[in-house]
Amino acid sequence: MSNTKLTLEEKDARLGLKLVLPSVTIIALLIIYPIFYNIYLSFFDVKLNGDAFFIGIKNYTNVLSDITFWKAVGTTFFYVIATTALTTIMGLIVALVMNKNFPARTIVRSLVLLPYVAPVISTVYSWQFFFDPVNGIFMHLMVDVFHLADNRFNLIADPKYAIWVAIIFSMWKAFPFTYLMILSRLQSIDQTLYEAVEIDGGGGIRKFISITLPELYFVMGSIVLLRFIWNFNKFEEVYLLTDNVKVLSVYTYFKAFTGSMDLGQGSALVVIQFSLLVVLIILYVKKVLKW
Amino acid sequence: MVGHKHKFLKNIGLLILVLLIVLFSIFPFIQMLSTSLKYSWDWGNPSLIPTEVNWSAYSEILGIGEQAEIDIPDSVKKLLDETPNLNDEQRSAIIDKYSDNSDVFPFFKYFWNSIRFSLTASLCSLIIAIFGAYSIARMKYRGQKLIQRGVLFVYMVGGILLLIPLYKISSAIGLSATQGGTTLSLVIIYMVQTLPVCLYMLGNSFRSIPFSIEEAAFIEGYSRFQTIVKIIIPISFSAIATVWVYSFMIAWNEYLFASVFLKSFSQMHTLPIALKALFVSKNAIWDRISAASLLTAIPVVILFMLIQNFLSGNKAEGGVKE
Repeated sequence: MSNTKLTLEEKDARLGLKLVLPSVTIIALLIIYPIFYNIYLSFFDVKLNGDAFFIGIKNYTNVLSDITFWKAVGTTFFYVIATTALTTIMGLIVALVMNKNFPARTIVRSLVLLPYVAPVISTVYSWQFFFDPVNGIFMHLMVDVFHLADNRFNLIADPKYAIWVAIIFSMWKAFPFTYLMILSRLQSIDQTLYEAVEIDGGGGIRKFISITLPELYFVMGSIVLLRFIWNFNKFEEVYLLTDNVKVLSVYTYFKAFTGSMDLGQGSALVVIQFSLLVVLIILYVKKVLKW
Repeated sequence: MVGHKHKFLKNIGLLILVLLIVLFSIFPFIQMLSTSLKYSWDWGNPSLIPTEVNWSAYSEILGIGEQAEIDIPDSVKKLLDETPNLNDEQRSAIIDKYSDNSDVFPFFKYFWNSIRFSLTASLCSLIIAIFGAYSIARMKYRGQKLIQRGVLFVYMVGGILLLIPLYKISSAIGLSATQGGTTLSLVIIYMVQTLPVCLYMLGNSFRSIPFSIEEAAFIEGYSRFQTIVKIIIPISFSAIATVWVYSFMIAWNEYLFASVFLKSFSQMHTLPIALKALFVSKNAIWDRISAASLLTAIPVVILFMLIQNFLSGNKAEGGVKE
C-alpha cells in the first residue's frame, strides 16, 4: 500500500520535472549562462571580428578610471531615486482619489491606464514634440504666455534639463501600475478601523496617518524596491526619449554598440551594473518577500 | 447648511483633481492625434484643434491613395538598359535602392514584422510557461523551491545585462549572419524576455485556485495532465489572457535587442526601430511620426481594453463551493 503511494508520488514528481524542464532549460541557456559568459568576456579584449585576448582586469581599471563612468553612476542613482519617489507619490495620490466615488469612474480608470499600456516608442515623440523649441506647447507657455524665459530653447538637448524630462516621462509611464497596486490594498482595508477613529473624534488627516499609511506600508515598500530595481535597468524609456541622459544602461549601450564597439569594456560595465542589481535584489528579498 | 456647502466644495475639489489626473494621463495621446492631423504650417499653433484637417500623414503611412513615384535617375536607367548581363535579382536590387524612397514609410511591412515577432514569441513562451508555472506552483519535487526562487531572480534581470553576451553567442554560432538566423535568435530572445514574467504571474494565479477543484478532477479519474488541460487552463482563462497580453506587449515594445540584431536586416525591422529610424532620418516629420505612433499604440491598447473586461468576470468563483 505505502509502496504504490510512493511510486505515485515519484511519478508525480517526475511529471513535475518534465513540465518545468522547457522553462528551466531556456532560462538556464539564455539567462544564466549568458550572465556567466558575460563575466568571462569582461576579462578579454573583444575584437570586432570575434577574436578575444585575455587582458585580466584591464577592462575594469579602464572603466573605473573613466570619469564619464562615475558620472553615469551618479546620473543613474539620481534618475532612479527621483523616478521612484515621484512615481510612488503620484501613484498614492491617484489611488486615494480613485478610491472615492465620482461620476464616470470606470472610464476614468481606463483612461488613466493608457500611459502604462502604450508602447514607449509611440509616446516618446509626443513628449519630444511637447518640448520642441519651435513647435512645442511647453516653450509657448514659458516664453509667450508666462514670460518665464526670454527665448525658446531646446530643453531636451540640454542634459541638465533632459534628465528631468526623462524623470517626468518615467513617472507618467509607471504611475498607473503603482496606483493599481496601492488601490487594491486600499480597498481591502477594514472599514471598521476608520469608524473607530471617527468615534474617537478623529478627522480625515488623523484617519490617513493612523490607519491608511500603516496599512499601505508593506505594499508601498515592495513597490518602491521593485520600481528601484526596474528603473535601475531601464534603457528604452531613457534612450528613446533623449540620448543626453547617460544612465548606466545607455552608457553601456553606447560603449558596446557604437563607435569603436568595445564589447569587452561593455561586459565589464554590465558586470558592475549586475553586481549592484544583485545587492538590490537581495535587499528586496530580505525586506519584502522573506523567503 | 455649512456642512452642505463644505461637502459641495470638497466634491468640486475632487472632480478637479480627477480632471487633472486624466488630463496628465491622456494629454500626450491627444497631442499625437492633433499633430497627426495638422499641416506643417500649423504645428507651431498651440491649439490642439487643427486649423485645417490634413489626412495626408495617414494616407501616406497606410499607403492609401497615389503610389509614390519610383524616381530612378536617367543614368541608372541607362546603365540598367545597357547591361543585359545583370540577373533579375541584381536588377531589382538596384531598382529597390532608388524606389526605397525615404519619403515612404512602409508602415504595414513593419507592422507585420512586429506582429510576427510578438505573436510567435508570446504564444511560445505562454505555452511553455503554463506547464512550467503549474509544475512550480502545484507539484512537489526536489529543486522546486530553487526553481521558484530562480524565476523571481531572473524576472529582475533587465535586457541590457544580457545584450552583449547574447549578441556574442548568436554571432559565434553563426545565427546573426543570415536573416533567418537573426529572426530565430530574436524570437528566442523575446521568449526569454517574457518567460519569467509569464511563469511568475501564472504561478501566482494557479496558486489561488482552490485545491478542491483539482481533487474533484482526480476523483473523476483525470490524470495530472488532463487536469491541467481540461480544468486548470479553462478556469484560469482570464489570467492566461492577461499574461499573454503582457508578454505580447513586452515583445511589441522591444527596441534594444531589435536595434542591435536587426541592424543589417532592414527587411525585418520592427515598428520601434522603424519609428526611431524615421525620426532620426529627417526633419519636419511631426505629422507622420505622430500618426505612426498612434497606429503603433492601437493594437496593444485594444488588447488591454479587452482584458480589462476579462478581469471583472472571475471564473473560479462558480466552480467550487466551500
